[in-house]
Amino acid sequence: MAPDLTTDVLVIGAGPSGSMAAKWAAKAGARVLMIEKRQEIGSPVRCGEGMSKDWLADVGIKPGRWINVEVEGARIYSPSEKVFEINEKHAGNEVGYVVERDEFDKQLAIDAANEGVEIRLKTAATGILKENGSVVGAKVKQFGTTFDVRAKVTIAADGFESQVGRWAGLPTNIALRDMDTCLQYRMTNVDCDVRYCDFYLGKVAPGGYVWIFPKAEGLANVGIGVQVSQIKGMAEARSYLDRWIDHHPAYAKGKKIDMVGGGVSIAPPMKQTVLDGFMVLGDAARMIDPLTGGGIANGCIAGKICGTVAAEAVHSGDASKKVLDKYEKGWRVRLEEKLYRNWLAKEKLTTLSDETFDKIVDALLGVKLEKLNVHNILKAVHEKYPEVTKEFEAFL
Amino acid sequence: MPSKKSLHIESSGQLCIYCGACVGICPLNCIYLDETRITFDEKICTRCEICVRACPVGAIEIG
Ligand SMILES: Cc1cc2nc3c(=O)[nH]c(=O)nc-3n(C[C@H](O)[C@H](O)[C@H](O)COP(=O)(O)OP(=O)(O)OC[C@H]3O[C@@H](n4cnc5c(N)ncnc54)[C@H](O)[C@@H]3O)c2cc1C
Ligand code: SF4
Ligand code: SF4
Repeated sequence: MAPDLTTDVLVIGAGPSGSMAAKWAAKAGARVLMIEKRQEIGSPVRCGEGMSKDWLADVGIKPGRWINVEVEGARIYSPSEKVFEINEKHAGNEVGYVVERDEFDKQLAIDAANEGVEIRLKTAATGILKENGSVVGAKVKQFGTTFDVRAKVTIAADGFESQVGRWAGLPTNIALRDMDTCLQYRMTNVDCDVRYCDFYLGKVAPGGYVWIFPKAEGLANVGIGVQVSQIKGMAEARSYLDRWIDHHPAYAKGKKIDMVGGGVSIAPPMKQTVLDGFMVLGDAARMIDPLTGGGIANGCIAGKICGTVAAEAVHSGDASKKVLDKYEKGWRVRLEEKLYRNWLAKEKLTTLSDETFDKIVDALLGVKLEKLNVHNILKAVHEKYPEVTKEFEAFL
Repeated sequence: MPSKKSLHIESSGQLCIYCGACVGICPLNCIYLDETRITFDEKICTRCEICVRACPVGAIEIG
């Protein structure tokens, strides 16, 4: 049996959220161990690889070779394929990059290692250690050997499939309507436009959308998310995606070189993310934006706060919930309002008919929007199709 | 007690792409994914079929 270990901060999961938390905790002087159950950080990729860029500098991420292309904007396709373009003018810096996700994740782990974080691969948390009601580390298994890691602060950054939070006693369960099941092909020999990320709405992807994120000329990630509550049978995500591709010659002629899947939460913000000695972070804390399905940015933003607070708790010798609540407050200030607002918007959008989607996009085409937000969109739609906005009065 | 239906996860790689969607949605937290090995706890599973719907490629069957 391997000897047990002790550390100040134990981070479970070396995705972007975990690496961020580990890095910022180590930077503030804590001893940090990050464990990852896979054999390779960042791989296999489970991501569309699109992200905004305005938040990167804030959390200390420098642009690197993980960037494939910088896009100029996004195009939203209504069911009858009217196109509404969102560009830097009204989205501010929200538009961004298509990235090489495995490179990105590795770079974040390198940044963490450079601050002194110890990293162990093929090391999975298999249970939580609790003493007098506080989390004091985790049971882990590395190369088939089980041992305990004792830590002053334990951070669960174990992604969508998170079990650590539930083991610790936080209800991270999600409702069927709060999850999208996703499938994506990377396709070559397609006619994509490297200037745009494209989104197709409506019954082509019930409760979700089809996305085209270009990685280079002729090469794109073509994926779909479908709300689980709108699924009745087996393999529906794949059927919807294959059908969509069959109907679009620019993609039907392409060839698949890669296939990834996964779950995306489209849930309201969790009520509690902290226990004595314990914090949950990123996808594991359901921090994905419920409207866009993007989770990299939110995980990293919360990760920095999480790591900083973990180090403070270590230095003060008090990792009680009361101290760690600073993380809970911190991420809520940054993210909660938007998460909640976008969850409400998602709840509405997932019920709309194709006809209504068409009207919304049609109304937007006729006006000049200064800034793109839910309020401005609804105002524009209200002027042309007042009957459509009736259901949305709560937002106006 | 009526006997439970059987649940089968095709995890040899013919269908399953090890994406973890079923793991995250299972309300009883009883599916485990370890790189390319997927298992579930017979005894805890209630055959609610949620994972069947959540699997993007149809690798889970309940019969
Ligand atoms: C198909 C798909 C497309 C997506 N597209 C986008 C997109 O275009 N843009 C975007 O911003 N977001 C996208 N997302 C969401 C994005 O991938 C996540 O929000 C992001 O990965 C969250 O990072 P994380 O660090 O919280 O979790 P993850 O990246 O999932 O990292 C969690 C890590 O923990 C490890 N782990 C799990 N359990 C254990 C354990 N018990 N012990 C040790 N380690 C463990 C895992 O192996 C993993 O490496 C997409 C998701 C999917 C499924
Ligand atoms: S049938 Fe229900 S309980 Fe059983 S593994 Fe699937 S989701 Fe979990
Ligand atoms: S959801 Fe399906 S493909 Fe994904 S891990 Fe589970 S069984 Fe495999």
